[in-house]
Amino acid sequence: MNVQDKSPAEAKPFKPEPARIVRTYHLTEDVKFFQVRFVDMQKALSFNYKPGQFAMISVLGAGEAPFSISSTPSRPGLLEFCIRRAGTVTNALFRLKENSLIGLRGPYGNGFPVEAMTGKDILIVVGGLGAAPLRSVLLYSLDNRDQFGRVAVLYGAKRPAEMIFREEYFSLKQRSDLECHLAVDADDTGKWTERVGVVTTLFPHLRQIDAPNTYALVCGPPVMYKFVIKELVKLAIPKNQILMTLERRMKCGVGKCGHCAIDYIYTCLDGPVFTYWDVIHMRELI
Amino acid sequence: MEKEKLKIGIYELTGCAGDALLIVDCEEELMNIFKAADIESFLMAKSDNRNGELDVALVEGSVSTEKEKEELLDIRRRSKVVVAIGNCACVGGIQAAFLDKKDWEKNFKKVYGTIAFTHTKPAQSKPIDAYIRVDHYLPGCPIGKEQFLSTFARMVGGNPPELYRFPVCVECKWHENDCLLNKDIPCLGPLTLAGCGSVCPDHNIPCFGCWGPTEEANLTSEYHLLLDKGFDLEMIKKRMANYSGTRIAEFFAQFRKEKR
Amino acid sequence: MRILKLQKNCLFPFLEAISKEAELWAPVAKGDKFAFDRVADFSRIAMNATRTIIPAKKIMVPANFNMFHFTEKGYKEDLSHVTDRILFGVHACDIHGLLTLDKIFTQVYPDPYYLEPRKRTMILGLSCWPDEHCFCKSTHTHIVEEGYDLFFTNLESCFLVWIGSSRGDDLIRLVPDLFDENLTEKDIKTYIQWQAERDNAFKTEIQFVRLPDLMELNYRAPFWEELGAACLACGSCTMVCPTCNCYNVMDKQFLGEKPGQRIRHWDSCTLPEYSEVAGGENFREKKFQRLKLWYTHKLQAYVSKYGKPSCVGCGRCLVTCPVQINVKTVAAALEGQEPEAFWKNLAKEATR
Repeated sequence: MNVQDKSPAEAKPFKPEPARIVRTYHLTEDVKFFQVRFVDMQKALSFNYKPGQFAMISVLGAGEAPFSISSTPSRPGLLEFCIRRAGTVTNALFRLKENSLIGLRGPYGNGFPVEAMTGKDILIVVGGLGAAPLRSVLLYSLDNRDQFGRVAVLYGAKRPAEMIFREEYFSLKQRSDLECHLAVDADDTGKWTERVGVVTTLFPHLRQIDAPNTYALVCGPPVMYKFVIKELVKLAIPKNQILMTLERRMKCGVGKCGHCAIDYIYTCLDGPVFTYWDVIHMRELI
Repeated sequence: MEKEKLKIGIYELTGCAGDALLIVDCEEELMNIFKAADIESFLMAKSDNRNGELDVALVEGSVSTEKEKEELLDIRRRSKVVVAIGNCACVGGIQAAFLDKKDWEKNFKKVYGTIAFTHTKPAQSKPIDAYIRVDHYLPGCPIGKEQFLSTFARMVGGNPPELYRFPVCVECKWHENDCLLNKDIPCLGPLTLAGCGSVCPDHNIPCFGCWGPTEEANLTSEYHLLLDKGFDLEMIKKRMANYSGTRIAEFFAQFRKEKR
Repeated sequence: MRILKLQKNCLFPFLEAISKEAELWAPVAKGDKFAFDRVADFSRIAMNATRTIIPAKKIMVPANFNMFHFTEKGYKEDLSHVTDRILFGVHACDIHGLLTLDKIFTQVYPDPYYLEPRKRTMILGLSCWPDEHCFCKSTHTHIVEEGYDLFFTNLESCFLVWIGSSRGDDLIRLVPDLFDENLTEKDIKTYIQWQAERDNAFKTEIQFVRLPDLMELNYRAPFWEELGAACLACGSCTMVCPTCNCYNVMDKQFLGEKPGQRIRHWDSCTLPEYSEVAGGENFREKKFQRLKLWYTHKLQAYVSKYGKPSCVGCGRCLVTCPVQINVKTVAAALEGQEPEAFWKNLAKEATR
């Protein structure tokens, strides 16, 4: 198509829309939870996203950065984010109080292939703040429980205080329609009732899985992937059903600024969800 | 409700006071500077200076006496954020070039002879991060007006400065200059932090490195490139060392060992 | 596609007529190089210019501009730098450069900051003659089939003018009498001969077809580290490349009442901070990793996506990199040769 025939007038891919922080509180010392709603009600209700997608958040004067969406599209209206204090934008976000305005645009990225996952078993493997993007798909599967087969969650954090959404996971343990195993690397409270060890030590506790019928979803710190993938491969889960969501530097979210390029793909367009096959194929992913 | 203003102090250690002067020289913005923050201390611009708690301290100059070291430690204790401003504070400045203890003692004697110092003990000139934790670095000799104002405005807004981390070449190409190095002119653009607006190369003058070296300055490559182009070894060394302060001392030390 | 004839002495009258329609930009001398600049005095136009220092991309996305003004009320687009332009004297390689950028900037999520100026800029191509650094014949970008409104082939006796778009046709119609619709047999012969001579004038040739495989096979080759050791990480190669699109965004605040600005400026994948995320993790900490990304992108990755390299053979990296890391020497290294280049000499020096 000729460039001349393109109409950019309506396309405003970079314009942040005003959104209000409805609720915010600390999940851990350096991770905060944000519940956000577009000021424009129409926009708030029409914001269609998939679990695993991300949004760009602007804080006035500080800048803009990408954040994975932690809420589920099955509960429309409000968007949720779990944000670790790491740089300029997150520091500015941490200063903002409830009712403050931020800029929001998105949703971006491929997200998890929830259509393909329908009817399949789901195994979610979380390390630390990896709970942020995986919470979306977890809540989505709970809200649509009958659309999926077995659901199992393995979650490892450094210390009990760093396990974000602890209560949500403990309450999952009460449910009979899913399996949930929790671990911390070290218990510094003396009150930890679950297992101690890295997340891979939870695999032996998993009930027998139906590997060809299972999607494994992984997110955690970069060092975790290698070890978790090894376990998943051992379980014989197909390479293209091992999904992971990755972090990269992004300045646009829409495949223009180039920062998230890996090989011939852009993490913001073709990711942030990749399969283990992608990882083998493209090398520099993890 | 009016927002509480940041308490800011501007201090000068050893240097030419060019950075403080540049701030005073922001004439059109001076009112805005004083309106946006409470300038608690600024020797060059005001007389009622207070040495209390600060949100931000801007420190110019290198540390070259024991007294300055004490003053600096005190500033750090009183300040939430310390910003090194100017080449002397960031990397030690011209007075720290060729930093090498033996050289310094020799040079010091050469200049001052055997004069006894009574008011303070002189020390080898060093950047302020030799003694304290520095939160941000605003480079330049002197600092640039635009970079200073945008840094100041960001700090007032509660955000850290966002400065270029890349070399002068990037800005030089933005301005579509023909590369001086390729014309066999000894330009330090590839080694030097941008932010100056590539003013020298814009006027066909090679970069002398006054913004100080970048994090990843490839000294080895530039050094050999200039040698290759037939420049005198001493000239290259002097030029590279001039504004690099302590930042490239290691490079030269290593180099000396090699040549021996 | 219609082809008309324009006598040499009719060019300025034509430019005179069209420059009333929009700003006329063309290559002019800058030192002993060339640069696109706004021209009122047509004698400044360098008709025989080689490559400009910076390609035509600067007209579409300036090196440094404001995207938004922002206040507490929100973000307001700033497209004030966009204006109607006619870009005369664009070489075939640069037209291909723009076509490559079109794919990145106008396909998914069209970028208004590129698309607006792109739509409002007419491209008047001009044929050129290769110097020793040109290799557009190797990338097959010495010929243009699309991407221009008019294209002027500069023959000894006259110009042959290809009309590439309806807008281009409109320009002709401003002064139709200057153009001759009847091409003689001699004109055709002259053109064919010109083309043959031009095609034989290339002194640099690179076998691009082999490069994707060679990139893959050389993924762990030691010469990457040699390149990394010499690379000044100055970013120049990417700034001058017609197909480099990367940019960074910074928010700028001002004292007083002035609204803030969201600044967008050209960025480079060869810079250390390029792949660094908040918190300090850097996915490409080493220079050789970043260089490899650039060459992967140009020579291999783009091919797997679009079926051709994203190098257009303009030779800008050849004349720009102070340490001679460029498509020519890297292609030679990929082919297993020892290229004559500073980076190779430095590597030899280091092992001595």
